[in-house]
Amino acid sequence: MNFDWDVVWTSLPRLLQGAEMTLWLAVVTMALAIPGGLVLAFMRLSGIRAFAFAATCFVEFFRATPLILQIYWVYYVLPAYFDIQFSQLSTAILGLTCNVSAFNSETFRSGIVSIRAGQWNAGRAIGMADGQIMWYIVLPQAVMRVLPALASTWVSLFKDTSLVSIISVADLSYVSLKIRSETYRILEVLSALAAIYWLMGYPQAKFVDWLHRRYKVAE
Amino acid sequence: MSISLTPFINSWPFLLKAVWITLALSLASMGLGFAIGVVVGALRTYGGRACDLGLGFYVDTMRSIPLLVVLVWMYFAFPLLIGRSLDVMTAAIIGLGVHLGAYMAETIRAGLTSVRKGQMSAALALGMSRPQAIRTIILPQALIRMLPALGSLFVFAVKDSAIASVIAVPELLRQTQVVAGNTYRPFELYTAAMLVYFVLCFPVARIIDRIYRRVAYLGSS
Repeated sequence: MNFDWDVVWTSLPRLLQGAEMTLWLAVVTMALAIPGGLVLAFMRLSGIRAFAFAATCFVEFFRATPLILQIYWVYYVLPAYFDIQFSQLSTAILGLTCNVSAFNSETFRSGIVSIRAGQWNAGRAIGMADGQIMWYIVLPQAVMRVLPALASTWVSLFKDTSLVSIISVADLSYVSLKIRSETYRILEVLSALAAIYWLMGYPQAKFVDWLHRRYKVAE
Repeated sequence: MSISLTPFINSWPFLLKAVWITLALSLASMGLGFAIGVVVGALRTYGGRACDLGLGFYVDTMRSIPLLVVLVWMYFAFPLLIGRSLDVMTAAIIGLGVHLGAYMAETIRAGLTSVRKGQMSAALALGMSRPQAIRTIILPQALIRMLPALGSLFVFAVKDSAIASVIAVPELLRQTQVVAGNTYRPFELYTAAMLVYFVLCFPVARIIDRIYRRVAYLGSS
């Protein structure tokens, strides 16, 4: 068996372009899924039955089915049966955002619920409206509390973006699999693929561990 | 838009078999992951600094490489390295198990460290060896405490098994694709697959939480 690692170096620019797409996808998805998760969490905590029920269904559904199937569903079913046309990239972002919003909403909800009732009472006692209390008192504390969990979700999301390669979005996985079938240098290209993800993901995983230690809740 | 049930009437035995393969794949990878998790988790907790660092490297590596890449590498690249081909199911079980094992190890480590030090001291004072104390005193309590986390890992195992469709394991998602491609009925088939996964995953976490509430006292010391 002889290996030819030159193929990795010659296709490095393309791989890096794919890596850029992976990073971009993760950033855009998270930027959409944080407000998305907050809205879902507020709906569940709103006390309005219909809102809470709808949000619960959405969250439980997206948490209990595989992301890869969600992406397929958005890709094949929406255009064919509901006459909605999306580009592959928007399909990918839509699928990822719904999924991550569902996970974020549970994170935010647990954070908001974990803030003691005394904080609400204190806010009311000094004459604040409920919305104000949420925005100025509860949310800032809740966000600090859920930061580690949010960061863990980010690391998962970063890996999960690889699944959009199945609908030909040119992320790192897609580009690598394509180079593999062009060059037949399977071991070299796939190992480079794993190595690039490792180089990007390992520091993130370590950073999350640090966040967990730094912001550990001790009451 | 019209909905047709013909694809199910014609191919339900085919799809049902795929559901069994999904379950078998999830259970096998869960088993392998659990075995890896117990060994790695215990060695990281009790095996000293070198063990902790070395195995920590494995855990963090698995946390940073997507499952898709692990599976594709295991099926296409690994056989080139060892010079013999791997059958697709074996590759999928190894890939899923090695990936899940890292998460399992973290869960088990958290469970083991949550058992108070006094338990170990008491076991040693009774003349038990350390492995014996871990096996008979610490691990049983830790396992009970970890039950909810293990439940959610099982849900992850079922969901992640769908990614094995990428290397053409004949599990539920893959076979749904096949039937959807043959019948041009993606809506019915993908929606049905979605419901099957939901039915497999959604109750599991709930049932395990319920069991946990009943047995939680066994894990408290």
